[in-house]
Amino acid sequence: MNSRMTRAAGLLALTAVLLAGCSGVSDLTKERVARSETSVQQAQQTLGNSEQGAIELQRAKDNLDRARQAIKDGDEQPAQRYAQLAQLDAELAVSKSQSASARKAADEMLASIKQLRQEAERSSPTNPQRTTDDQ
Amino acid sequence: MNHRYSLLLAAAAAACVAACSSTPETIDELETARAVVPQVEASPRAGVAVTNITDARKALDRANALAEKHGKVADIQYEATVASRNAQIANEKILTAQARDDIDKGTAERQTVLTEAREREARSATERANALERELADLKGKKTERGIVVTMGDVLFDTGKATLKPGAYTTVERLAAVLKEDPQRKVMIEGHTDNVGSDEYNQSLSERRAASVQAALFERGVDASQISTVGKGETTPVASNDNAAGRQQNRRVELVFQEDRSKVASDTD
Repeated sequence: MNSRMTRAAGLLALTAVLLAGCSGVSDLTKERVARSETSVQQAQQTLGNSEQGAIELQRAKDNLDRARQAIKDGDEQPAQRYAQLAQLDAELAVSKSQSASARKAADEMLASIKQLRQEAERSSPTNPQRTTDDQ
Repeated sequence: MNHRYSLLLAAAAAACVAACSSTPETIDELETARAVVPQVEASPRAGVAVTNITDARKALDRANALAEKHGKVADIQYEATVASRNAQIANEKILTAQARDDIDKGTAERQTVLTEAREREARSATERANALERELADLKGKKTERGIVVTMGDVLFDTGKATLKPGAYTTVERLAAVLKEDPQRKVMIEGHTDNVGSDEYNQSLSERRAASVQAALFERGVDASQISTVGKGETTPVASNDNAAGRQQNRRVELVFQEDRSKVASDTD
């Protein structure tokens, strides 16, 4: 019992030493993580409750969590990488929601033109050749 | 014996797995990146996402180089994922640009459709007016100051009576068609006689003949608001009453179509 306690304490001490040695995550990496944090927040605001990009936003949040954890653990490279992935996922979420709303607007526009054409054809029965002319 | 053999096999297998684990045959992330990056690079709209496409290519090149050198799987996966994400972002930007182009084209097309509809409306109004004039010309309508005048001669009525003969039906049908085609069009029906008989008799006959044509048009579905009638008796001859031919010309019903459609045509108004 006692010897096991001693061994655990020793392990703990060793870990602490190791952690201290590695905990020097550079300010640059911390900045990078902070930037990703901002991007994820902005993506959240842009998306609101929209479904488009929701999966990517969640992935961005998960990566951000991993980046934060990596800072705590003093893991420089994982912190950088997860920050970068969080950044990319946040950008992807935003661009997905933007392209979805642009597509929706375009489709609505096309539908309204189609409707206009149909109305125009209906209101001019004296011009039957129009129906075959158009497309 | 047997037991030891299988242990050896297992050890060999484990060694192999360990050896291969740094660079397995395929890494999903790398395969994905290799598929998507060239796609966005080849897009004719690649210009809207230059930075992302450049970043994607650089990351894919790094991933490929690592795979070539049997680098760490985690490193290859990371670079490949960076490549794929950038390619996906580029793809969304390209889709957005396409949608915006569609919207711009749509805006222009919408305008064209609206303009065409207006022009078509104007054209068909003109066509209706022209068709009317052609139709009236077919009925030997004469253009006068009062408008287009179609004359229904005496032969279309029973002598001394207001009843239309069957021979007048074709003309009446066509007049009805003209009026129904253009509900804004108004017509004044004028009855005329020669100078044989009393003024009162002639006045009454001219009124009854005008009313008879009006009734025939109503029967064929012309709206009451389009027609007005007047009896002019013997007051407005078009030929001499001194001979039979002239008198026959004077016994007539005139339909006056005003060319300016805003008011009923008549020189008596």
